[in-house]
Amino acid sequence: MNYFKTIINGIVKENPTFVLLLGMCPTLATTTSAINGLGMGVATMFVLICSNTFISLLKNLIPDGVRIPCYIVVIASFVTLLQMLMQAYVPDLYKTLGIFIPLIVVNCIILGRAEAFAAKNNVLASICDGIGIGIGFTLALTILGFVRELLGNGAVFGYRILPESMNMLVFVLAPGAFITLGLLMAIVNSIKNRKA
Amino acid sequence: MKKLQSNILNMALVLTLIAVVAAGLLAWVNNVTSGPIEEINNLAIENGIKSVILGDRDIQFTVDDPVEQDGFVFHGVNDMNGNLIGTAVESTDRNGFGGALKVMVGFNPEGVILGYTVLEHSETPGLGAQADDWFRQSSAEAAEQSGIVNVLLGAPGKPGNHNIIGMNPGDDIMTVSKDGGDVDAITASTITSRAFLRAVNNAYKAVFGYTAADGVSGASSQN
Repeated sequence: MNYFKTIINGIVKENPTFVLLLGMCPTLATTTSAINGLGMGVATMFVLICSNTFISLLKNLIPDGVRIPCYIVVIASFVTLLQMLMQAYVPDLYKTLGIFIPLIVVNCIILGRAEAFAAKNNVLASICDGIGIGIGFTLALTILGFVRELLGNGAVFGYRILPESMNMLVFVLAPGAFITLGLLMAIVNSIKNRKA
Repeated sequence: MKKLQSNILNMALVLTLIAVVAAGLLAWVNNVTSGPIEEINNLAIENGIKSVILGDRDIQFTVDDPVEQDGFVFHGVNDMNGNLIGTAVESTDRNGFGGALKVMVGFNPEGVILGYTVLEHSETPGLGAQADDWFRQSSAEAAEQSGIVNVLLGAPGKPGNHNIIGMNPGDDIMTVSKDGGDVDAITASTITSRAFLRAVNNAYKAVFGYTAADGVSGASSQN
């Protein structure tokens, strides 16, 4: 197994947002600004790498019949851990993302990768998969947040560029999330088709 | 190692084992982080009190022990001679756009707003989340921040008044202009603005309202 290929695979060919369409709930909810998308992506990546590592380590210890509850316990533990650590040591980031952190538990990317990849591959490959999918998710969320923030709020990473009168409010609100995601997916697919 | 079989004993043992280890790990981390978390929360309250009462003034002060009542938390602030400078009130409104909106408002003994800070909110970023700045900005400052393109075009900012610092909820009508009040709501965030002003008005009532008959004594009775 080529580890580098595994990472690239997670970013491009199996991009969790644009290709696998996993974890839509946090994707749509948190990407109101680029920095929120980035923070959410990095937090998810942390949990994903940790859970992939441990589930891969424990894959022979866990009987098939109880694998889902076991995975959930591992994932939920890491999320809670992350939440406490962030609250204690990066309070500013926690203040922005606080309400979204517990949502990582129910992010199906993490359970999906545990089931589809970590439970069948060795530890190193699972870590690479976590990194790849994590970067892919972070990238997608940041781009989505960037577009929505720029169109809806006239700002880039919090710095105002366009005047308030040019804001298209709908892009910051829920419908804008769907519109932006749909358009970005169309762009990604058209680039992919041209290459193929 | 071969994969464990899915018989009832193995399944019960493994799941219990994983849960116990996870619980132990979390208990340990909780133990480590609870100290810093409490410190950060206390510091946030302390800085909040300082900024809403003193603003940029740099004077010595003491803070009374917080008093909790009806969901409000009062912090009386005194100068070094023991005279009351103001009261900082933590006040929550449950009906913001995204949920509860918790603010801290500082009043001087006459009921004039000295300052405020938003402690907790879940408002829309870029819209309702501006509450932390909006209600202390003069319209000139708001115009300045309305974007590079706007400045280049020389387009004026939105006129109006949304600076509540120096207002007195007892004298001024502190509701959004849409509701006939004196304060301009945040653009496209009327619900947030209403929640914010409700929290401020309730804070005022909590300090001064109960003894409205004799005006200012409500504040002193808190101390």
